[in-house]
Order: sequence, then structure tokens, then C-alpha cells
Amino acid sequence: MRLLKSLGRVGLSFFLTLAGAVLFVQLLLWAAPGDPIDLVPNGVEFRAELEAEWDLDRPLPARFAAYLGRAFQGDLGTSLTYRPGSSVSELAWPAALRSARILVPALVLTLSVALIMAWFSGRRGGPAVRLTQAVSIAPVFLLAFLSVTFLNESTFSLIESGAIERPFWFALPDTDSWVRSLLAILVLAVGSGALSEVTAACTDELNHLRNAPFIEAAVARGARVGPHLVWNLIPAVASVFSNRAAFFVGGLVIIEKVLQLNGAGAMLWQACLMRDYPLAMGLTVMAAGAVCLARLISDVVRVAVDPRLREAA
Amino acid sequence: MSWSGRIGLLLLALVAVVWICAGVSGYDVIADVNPALGGTAASGAHWLGTDHLGRDVFNRLMLGSHAFVGPGLLACITAFVIGVPAGGLAGYYGGPLASSIRYVSTVVASLPRFVLVLLCMAVYGNDVWLLSIVAGVSYVPTLAGAVYARVQSLSNAEFVVAARAHGISESRILLYHLIWVNCRRLVGRYALQLFGYFLLLETTLSYIGGFGVMEPQPSWGNMLAFDFGYQTGNVWGVVAPAVAIWLTIMGCSLLEEELVEERRA
Repeated sequence: MRLLKSLGRVGLSFFLTLAGAVLFVQLLLWAAPGDPIDLVPNGVEFRAELEAEWDLDRPLPARFAAYLGRAFQGDLGTSLTYRPGSSVSELAWPAALRSARILVPALVLTLSVALIMAWFSGRRGGPAVRLTQAVSIAPVFLLAFLSVTFLNESTFSLIESGAIERPFWFALPDTDSWVRSLLAILVLAVGSGALSEVTAACTDELNHLRNAPFIEAAVARGARVGPHLVWNLIPAVASVFSNRAAFFVGGLVIIEKVLQLNGAGAMLWQACLMRDYPLAMGLTVMAAGAVCLARLISDVVRVAVDPRLREAA
Repeated sequence: MSWSGRIGLLLLALVAVVWICAGVSGYDVIADVNPALGGTAASGAHWLGTDHLGRDVFNRLMLGSHAFVGPGLLACITAFVIGVPAGGLAGYYGGPLASSIRYVSTVVASLPRFVLVLLCMAVYGNDVWLLSIVAGVSYVPTLAGAVYARVQSLSNAEFVVAARAHGISESRILLYHLIWVNCRRLVGRYALQLFGYFLLLETTLSYIGGFGVMEPQPSWGNMLAFDFGYQTGNVWGVVAPAVAIWLTIMGCSLLEEELVEERRA
């Protein structure tokens, strides 16, 4: 019963946060200078129709409620300038699925490598951790730029010297191949402090657990400590996962743009450049939805594992 | 202070010196264009050589610091002005005020920072000062959350109860005893984090293009993109901004680590 109550709270929090994010984005656009109808060719001629379609003739709360209702039914509006007249949902969903193929493996890779390093480094400041920190603090775009330059230049030298044939992925990032996707996953998993910060968080949590009284008691009894550590580490790892999700979604925009990947991040950048507000807003709401979903998964895991959270509910 | 902390401090001091020197050097980004000198290697006249338009890479690197130092400080001020009072009030008084502030923080934090910045730049226009304010606002949930957690954990501590018993006002307890005495290292850490994040944000936007600092104004991000695009043969045009970005973020990271407090068991 307590578990169900806790899960109910978590679910309610998910919907309230998502609704709040939609309202926040609506407020941003509402406060924007200028008239959105000016963005549409011959928009002035169709002002009445466009105002009715975009709810511009209604007050903000009504507009927000209408958008929220439509958004929960999967209707995020119509693209203005990116693909004029196309449904935002039809444009954004396939792109979001392509992005998920980069985002999810990168997140899993970061967590896995961070946990392994935290487990074996033992304390903060070991050489492996220091090296990871030095590489990881480089921004995503810089790491991508350096990786692409290094791969292209070294491969070109080998091709010129006749040592190898031209590989199928050459030259990055123009050629579409799995190597480019793999590079995107690696750079996203490591760059902009992702790996170093997650490793630091996991190391901190692991050290805290290793010094906890119940672990000392287990050691004194001669019991195996590993399973206790792993079980009690799950809520902390879930928290790190949800905290980093937003960061990864932001990094995805950068990596897709730098490596010319055709995902939701690159689409968002293009929509912002072309001032396609409905598409940009739809993609932002989807990004917020992805972050809220990560938080929901994390909260469910924490509630399921940690009885203290159920007690608190 | 540890050696890593000293190195961090030195790197950031170097950035500050570069920023000040660039301000007084009077370098003119337009007058410096001289295509006849395009792609010149490093020499006594041009310490880091020139780019394909013959512009001095060293001078542009120095002036590039103006794209992020001032705006980065404004981002920190914005985050503090909103985040510290919000987190402190929520942590000290609790109740509906805390719930409201936490809800707003959660909502803002659910929007990825980079996405929020991009949307604001598209809607309100491309300006580096606007970028700094948006970056600061997007950092408020993180800062407010940290201050909230610290103040809440100390709001009923013995020294706070004793201060109340001595008749010290609630505002003084909150502002001095809780925030100034107990949160300043924490706030310093987040300031360094935000400053490093702002550099990352500004250089990323300027590198990709379309937003951020535009040519002919230099930014370490657009220098990297511009010089690589033309590949003049002067490698410093690419190496110098890349190393500068890396060292500055490294400086923030090392100094921030110095301010990490030991976690209480």
C-alpha cells in the first residue's frame, strides 16, 4: 500500500512538472517581442484564421490549457518555416527516436564506466580518475572536433602512403556510417565533464557507504560486503542518472550539430535558427518530457529499493 | 591550499590578466585585417601567427576573453541574486513557500539548460549578455537546491537555537549565520562551476555558428571554427583557442575541487 502511495506521488509529480514546463515555455513565447504572424509569408492576409489556429485570440491561461490538452493527445502544432504545414509530431518523433539511439547508449556507457572506476579507484584523486577528469572537462564540441580531426588526418596519411584503402566511413563527419554514431556516443558519454562528474558522484557515494555503520558491522561479522554495497548504491546511481539526463539532452543538440547527425537536437537548432516557434516549442516540450521521464524512472527505482522513502510518503 | 588548487587559481588569474590586458590594448578587429599576411607562422611580430585574413591570432585570443569573462560574471551574479535568497528562504522557513520555490526550481530544471538557452536566443535575439542572464537563470535550480539543502539541515541546529535565544533577528540568523558562514564555500563552488559552464556555452554556440559571438568579433569558439575552416597552415590558429578553452575550464574545475567540503558520515 505504501509502495502504491509512493508511486502515485511520483506519477503526479511527473505530470505536474511536465505541465509546469509547458507553461514555462508558453510564457517565454508569450513574452517574445513582435507578432508571430509576421513570420508566415502572406500571414497578414490570413490573420483571422491564423489567430484562431494558434489560439492567439484567447487569453494566456486558455491558450495554455488548449496547448496542454492537445500536447497530451500528441498534437504539438504545425511547423511554420522548417517544413511549412507539416505536423510537428510527425517531424519530431522520428528524429527523437534517432536521437534516443545516441542518448541512451551514451548515458548507459557513462554510468557503467563511472561505476567501474569508482569501484576500483577506491578514493578520489587516483591517477585514472585524474586522467579521466583532464579529458572529460573538455567541452563536447571540442572533443568531437579533435576526434574528427585526428581520425581524418591520421587516416588520410595512411591512405596517402598506400598503407590502407579508403575506409567506408572516411571522411568524418560527412559520411553517414556507424563509426560516426559510435563517435557521437563516446564523445557525449565523456565530454563536458559528464564522465568525471558522474565518477566523482559515484566515488563519493561509494566511500560514504563503505564508511557506513551497517557495512562496518557486516565486515565485523565476516559477511560479504559487495551485495550490500551494490544494493544500497542503486538509489544513488538512480539519482545521478536523473540529474545527468537533462545535461545529456543538451549535449545531444551539440553533438548532432557538430557531427551532422539527423536527430531531434539538430532539428531543434535549425528550428531556432529559422524561428519556427511551434517546432522549437514542440521539441523543447519533448526534451522536458524526456528529462521528466528519466526522473520518473529514477524515483520509481529509488522508491522500490529504499524503504525509508516509502515511510516518508 | 593543495597544489591542484594553486594551479587552478593561477590559471584563472591568467585569464583575468588576459581579460584586463585585452581591454586596455585597443586592438581593432577591423583595422587588423590584412589578407597579404594570411596564414603567417608564429614570429616576433605575431606571437601566434595570423589567420587567413592576416589577423593576429594572439590579439584575437586575448580579445576573445571578453566574450565570456564579463558575461560569465553576470551569469554568476544573476544566479546568486535569485538562487541564494530562494534556497535560503525555502530552507529556513519551509512550508508552502518552500514547496512553491521547489516546484518552480523543478520545472526550470526539467528543461535542459542548453535547450532553454537556444530557445531564448531564438525568441529574444542573439546577444551575449542575454545569454549570460539566461545561463544564470537556468543555473538557479541547481544553486537554490544546494543552498536549500544546507540551510534546511542547519535550520534547527544548536547554534541557531542559541542565536534565537539570544534575541538575534531571524534575518541576521539566515543571512549571516546560515548563508554567509555556512554556505559561502558552497556558493563559491557553484560560482566556479557556472563560470566554467558559461565558457562552455559561449564557445559552443560561437563554434557551431548562428548564435553566440559572430565574426568579426573574436570568441575562442568562433576562432576555432573559422581557422579550421580555412586551414591556413598556421596550426596556432586552432591549437591556441582549443588549449585556452581547456585550460580555463581546467582552472575552474581544480579550484572548485579545492572548495569541496568533506561529506559528513
